[in-house]
Amino acid sequence: MAGYESHEYDVLVIGAGGAGLRAAIEASARGLRTALVSKSLLGKAHTVMAEGGIAAAMGNVYTEDNWQVHFRDTMRGGKMLNNWRMAQLHAQEAPDRVRELEEWGALFDRTDDGRILQRDFGGHRYARLAHVGDRTGLEMIRTLQQHAVHRGLDVYQEFTVNRLFKDGDRIAGAVGYWRESGELVAFSAKAIVLATGGLGKIWAITSNSWEGTGDGHALAMYAGADMIDMEFVQFHPTGMVWPPSVRGILVTEGVRGDGGTLRNASGERFMFNYVPPMFAAETADSEAEADRWYTDRTARRTPDLLPSDEVARAINSEVRAGRGSPHGGVFLDIASRRDADYIQRRLPSMYHQFKELAGVDITREPMEVGPTCHYAMGGVRVDAETGATTVPGLFAAGEVAGGMHGSNRLGGNSLSDLVVFGRRAGVGAADYAEGVEAMPTLDASAVNERAELVTAPFESDGKENPYAVHEALRDLMQVNVGIIRTESDMQVALSGIHELKARAAAVKVEGGAQYNPGWHLALDLEHMLNVAEAVTTAAIERQESRGGHTRDDFPGPSPEFAKVNVVVRRSEDDGAITATQEPLPQMPAELQRLFEED
Amino acid sequence: MTQAPSDATTIRLEIARYRPEQDERPVLERYDVPYRHEWVVLDALNYLKDHIDGTLSYRWSCRMGICGSCGMMVNGVPKLTCSAFLRDYLPGPIRVEPMANFPVERDLVTVLDDFMEKFQAVKPWIIRDGEQPLEEGEYRQTPAQLADFKQFSMCINCMLCYAACPVYQHEDEFLGPAVLALAQRYNHDSRDQGKGERQELIWSDEGIWDCTFVGECSAVCPKHVDPAGAIQQAKVESTVGWYRSFLAPFGRG
Repeated sequence: MAGYESHEYDVLVIGAGGAGLRAAIEASARGLRTALVSKSLLGKAHTVMAEGGIAAAMGNVYTEDNWQVHFRDTMRGGKMLNNWRMAQLHAQEAPDRVRELEEWGALFDRTDDGRILQRDFGGHRYARLAHVGDRTGLEMIRTLQQHAVHRGLDVYQEFTVNRLFKDGDRIAGAVGYWRESGELVAFSAKAIVLATGGLGKIWAITSNSWEGTGDGHALAMYAGADMIDMEFVQFHPTGMVWPPSVRGILVTEGVRGDGGTLRNASGERFMFNYVPPMFAAETADSEAEADRWYTDRTARRTPDLLPSDEVARAINSEVRAGRGSPHGGVFLDIASRRDADYIQRRLPSMYHQFKELAGVDITREPMEVGPTCHYAMGGVRVDAETGATTVPGLFAAGEVAGGMHGSNRLGGNSLSDLVVFGRRAGVGAADYAEGVEAMPTLDASAVNERAELVTAPFESDGKENPYAVHEALRDLMQVNVGIIRTESDMQVALSGIHELKARAAAVKVEGGAQYNPGWHLALDLEHMLNVAEAVTTAAIERQESRGGHTRDDFPGPSPEFAKVNVVVRRSEDDGAITATQEPLPQMPAELQRLFEED
Repeated sequence: MTQAPSDATTIRLEIARYRPEQDERPVLERYDVPYRHEWVVLDALNYLKDHIDGTLSYRWSCRMGICGSCGMMVNGVPKLTCSAFLRDYLPGPIRVEPMANFPVERDLVTVLDDFMEKFQAVKPWIIRDGEQPLEEGEYRQTPAQLADFKQFSMCINCMLCYAACPVYQHEDEFLGPAVLALAQRYNHDSRDQGKGERQELIWSDEGIWDCTFVGECSAVCPKHVDPAGAIQQAKVESTVGWYRSFLAPFGRG
């Protein structure tokens, strides 16, 4: 492939979900030449799938709410491993970012007197999630998109960035390709914002769609940026495992709250076998008592409603013991326990979702569910104020950035994260770009070399199918670096990843460069393998259980690991990925006092 | 409408393939894929891509009917393939083609530039005479004011309505159902004062008056936006506005 387009920008934003759009709006409002790159069509990013709402201590429903309470909830949810300054800024600024979305036209459900309505959500002390029905993410991305598109920024849709380039230590640009035509583009850019989202596609069962291949995580690592908290991955205990079209779509806890129960292949309600001692006093120990609980709160609670990590661990154990459902999950049964009218009345959107997308009538048949990879807490290490990474000129915001959520993210804190830190990264990148006098130059020979590497899968003598290598990686990670981890399993994963790297090098792609999904996957594979290695390496390093990282060989939290982030770096010389422990940033005394009542 | 699982083990897909480097025009190619009671057309396409032909091009993303990426013609009808069950097309074959009324890029992928331009043309953002500072809190909007236009905001830009629209089929200039519904979504927003800026375009020949109220757009809309209803509403409003401008030339239309 000879030749490529060349473009110059002050700020290049990679990723067009909530964080990328918000960053791009900020940079273009400053009058800087701004480009926004979107891997799929504009407006289709994962932000669109968020249902619950956007957390912000506006105090519209409970006037007692304020940023300090939101900050404390967030830190507790993250098991105190969050970057305290990010959590503070997030809690302080989320209300203004919601008002800004509203000002730009976003719809919200309202209180009777016309203010933004807020709803309850797990881990939030007060009703705090601004929302519109169960499609808040759609409304948010649509508003940002419509606000952005007439601001004069250039949009590259269905475009994938494959590498970042540096000039010395500083960021200089990027190389990518139009998915449509396969033609290459070289960007010179003074500053780059990564807003690429998550990495769920390295697991077999995930709520992430095909785009979630950890591109930004990988691009940052290749550029030498520090990564933190990569071991923390949020698994939802009950995602659909079957049928395939809905594999990974989450089943709300409400199904269990309204009478649904978990059963293994022989119909046993296995959760009774997994009640940990600390919850034994408040949990029913017989089916009769559990069933009474729904209408009689003098009975103890059903073990189906244990905390989500306990439920996920139990499901995982049943499947591993060979007592799972045909497709590798367990059964969630409400059909045999509640009549159809009740189910439809109590769970209308679940009922319709399963009916329309899965063809499963949950009033008549059980669902097959299992732990589902949902969200990556870890990511590129950033400065809280500006989103700056450890590479000058490179910024990151949203799911690709680490620190904000610590070891576990609260529901509703994702959409707010996107706009709070999307804006901050946009400001940070704009400030930085304004301080760079001359447009950086790309090393032409490096760009040409990259161009050859990108098209190499067409010329390959190898015989590997990219889909087969991807499937093997996903299964390897699901089994060995899933929701419950041990050192020995993870060592199996590490050596497996190295074998798969060799197989990936032998991938052969058929057809041409125009809109060729096999080729696109072949290029994403390298990213996924490196990200999988980073996650596994970090997870081996953290010898404790905390938030979204559960070790069977280190079942409890450790006071030593409470003080450190695991930092992952990739050597720019030989690509080796290593993990080190570094002390957490120290929270100032006035914020520490917020936790003293605990 | 739950049917008993079929005895079928495979089902035939007829896919419109168009590879510009080798095909002068789209050609139907036949593939047999496993039949599963629970599968949707998108599952069958993914199976085909992963196991039979990795070069098959199509768009998809969320699998939950909210991103609006996977629209195609299934047996001639515009559908989101993530919610079109194989079992509703037994015994097959199932013909899958790119969305009608759009140029084809490759295989099942269409060129959407025209839609993107029209989308922006109706100024789908809040237009105000003056801004109030963020510190003063949100703009008030009662649940009743919201209910007046909320339905028109449900659009996921899947473009099935364009594929179904007989007017758009013949008149490229027509703004089309989703875009006109989007204009109505903003015109009816109690926080917006931009109706005057939008009306020239939506009342033009390319706007609402091109619509012959066939209603196919509303029939295929997976989110019940009812673009035909939005267009009809806009027509009524513009007629009323036009009469008013004669009866009370100095009043507000």
